[in-house]
Amino acid sequence: MVDDMTQTAGAATGEVVLEVKDLKKHFPIHRGIISRVAGHVFAVDGVSFDIRKGETLGLVGESGCGKSTVGKTVLRLLEPTGGEIRLRGQDVTHLTGEELRTRRREMQMVFQDPYSSLNPRMSSGEIVGEPMENYGLATGKAKEDRVAALFERVGLRRENMLKYPHEFSGGQRQRLGIARALALNPSLIIADEAVSALDVSVKAQVINLMMDLQQEFELGYLFISHDIAVIEHISHRVAVMYLGKIVELTDKDTIFRTPLHPYTEALLSAVPIPDPQVKRERIILRGDVPSPINPPTGCHFHTRCPYAVDRCRAEAPPLTEVSPGHHVACHLREVGAGPVKLTPTKADAPVAAA
Amino acid sequence: MSDAAEIMDTPAPDAATERPIIEIDDLRTYFYTRDGVVRAVDGVSFKVHRGETVCVVGESGCGKSVTAMSVLRLIPEPPGRIVSGAITFDGRDLLGLREEEMRDVRGNDISMIFQEPMTSLNPVLTVGRQIAESVVLHQGLGKKEAADKAVEMLDLVGIPEPVRRAREYPHQLSGGMRQRVMIAMALSCNPQVLIADEPTTALDVTIQAQILNLMLDLKQRLGTAIIMITHDLGVVAEVAQRVVVMYAGRKVEEAPVEELFARPMHAYTYGLMGSVPRLNVALENTGERERLQEIPGTVPSLREDIVGCAFAPRCAFATDHCRAERPELEEKRPGHVVACWESERVRAAHG
Repeated sequence: MVDDMTQTAGAATGEVVLEVKDLKKHFPIHRGIISRVAGHVFAVDGVSFDIRKGETLGLVGESGCGKSTVGKTVLRLLEPTGGEIRLRGQDVTHLTGEELRTRRREMQMVFQDPYSSLNPRMSSGEIVGEPMENYGLATGKAKEDRVAALFERVGLRRENMLKYPHEFSGGQRQRLGIARALALNPSLIIADEAVSALDVSVKAQVINLMMDLQQEFELGYLFISHDIAVIEHISHRVAVMYLGKIVELTDKDTIFRTPLHPYTEALLSAVPIPDPQVKRERIILRGDVPSPINPPTGCHFHTRCPYAVDRCRAEAPPLTEVSPGHHVACHLREVGAGPVKLTPTKADAPVAAA
Repeated sequence: MSDAAEIMDTPAPDAATERPIIEIDDLRTYFYTRDGVVRAVDGVSFKVHRGETVCVVGESGCGKSVTAMSVLRLIPEPPGRIVSGAITFDGRDLLGLREEEMRDVRGNDISMIFQEPMTSLNPVLTVGRQIAESVVLHQGLGKKEAADKAVEMLDLVGIPEPVRRAREYPHQLSGGMRQRVMIAMALSCNPQVLIADEPTTALDVTIQAQILNLMLDLKQRLGTAIIMITHDLGVVAEVAQRVVVMYAGRKVEEAPVEELFARPMHAYTYGLMGSVPRLNVALENTGERERLQEIPGTVPSLREDIVGCAFAPRCAFATDHCRAERPELEEKRPGHVVACWESERVRAAHG
């Protein structure tokens, strides 16, 4: 384990590991017996970000906002509809076959439910060792040694290599999933709700482990979660998604201290704080997230936004850098204006009181 | 939020003197499986007063849901059985009731909301009909009145266009709306007690905020007592007046909510609070990522006999005494009971 108890946010100056530009993923909806395309689900609709060595980008949003689709498309488990994905400078958007396989070694995924992502008929040692064999990195004794080292690194005992996934607890299985992801020395790990299914005390163990490993191996993390407190804890920078688009992207401190997008503001205010002394101003959003099949015109958030004006209903706001490193997609936020308090425009605007 | 804050701060009327609406006394619910006896709930006692919200907190397998199911006598038998103890509702012994009498209590006097509304709603009936059904059954209303009542309840829980929605099926509603339907159904007979088992766990935070607000608002209007089961300390801090912390089938600590967060005295409670990532909106953010406090290991198996304190193997404060002898619950401060040999050291560590 690492000696010093903290890690600085300044890790984000290294080489760019992943660069995503205007990524789109639309799923066609088929209807009728001849399966004609009757529409599209605009799951991801023009998303751009980058991740540096040793940096965690937290991707946060509610169900159906497209955050998991971003992860799968970056890994090329889904074919992007448009845009560009660059892995350490090289365009991997359209790679296929052997080329794709080679590059994929550098990016690995950790899933939410470790049980369904581990082969129940392989021993845990085989599970972690298999990718090394597939890529011809190590075999026989060398492989065994490396698997054992990985086990110890993620906090599993060496003897556990002979056990099968069902013999482990949830937290141990997630450690196993992490060990497998590390087996190929990746430079990028995409963690999709990696700690969401774990109990509180075990969640803390896995978060700490992931932070330690990041520092040790200078891993870039795309950490996808709906749990804002976890995102705040693990991220250096945070991107907030709503209906297929990033609405705000900046460093962790700024986003939590001075959120500029009305959605970010509402989202943060909705998180219950585990301290009965803290009484905050809370913004209760009305209604549900609209369907990504038929997203609202203009700004996707205008149907629930307490501050929306006519322009928001007509014109989609682009993601704009309003201050250095702080990107926001909102007509009401001007470059250099800072966090001006907005005025509710709806008569039945959500109540916000102390 | 202002409403919610006020409701939380209002103490239950004469909590100390009034007869509790629910009293659980030394409840033991065991499951007899092929692999042995699972002591899911092993001697749990607590009371809930009218208009009060009590949160039961703990991790998976600590017995919090089984406690709730025992109150409604919904434990599948076999393999489960309420082995001993007493559950009293408004002075009536629930464990002594016949099944028909119990059916009358469920839904009418005590209602329950579950975590996953989709599995507890009937997929082939419209939601209006499902609500009406329980009203007809418990309150003896006619079909027409019951249908009107269903629409009224949907309106009460904030579902837009309740007349249209009442004619829809569960799959046509979003997760948040389904949970509202569950709440509407649970409250349709004006129960005196509402048991909510992780009612917001499956929901997004903005929807969770809506539902919690709704529950607190209804509580204030209807005076319902709420037992809320949750693992989320954030939710606890927002809604609870009193908190019961469970570990391995037992109550290990109970206190009023401010007292518990200010002065946790059980090593497990203390550990839980340290291991929760929290939003530091109110605090000065240093830009650094701190490590979370860990609780090593995992919860013990409830099949084996536990000698000493069940938390001792994971506890940083544990001594030989803890490993040898189980601590009994003891009232250390007014209303604050804890079962921990080292509670003074834990308290000092937190301060």
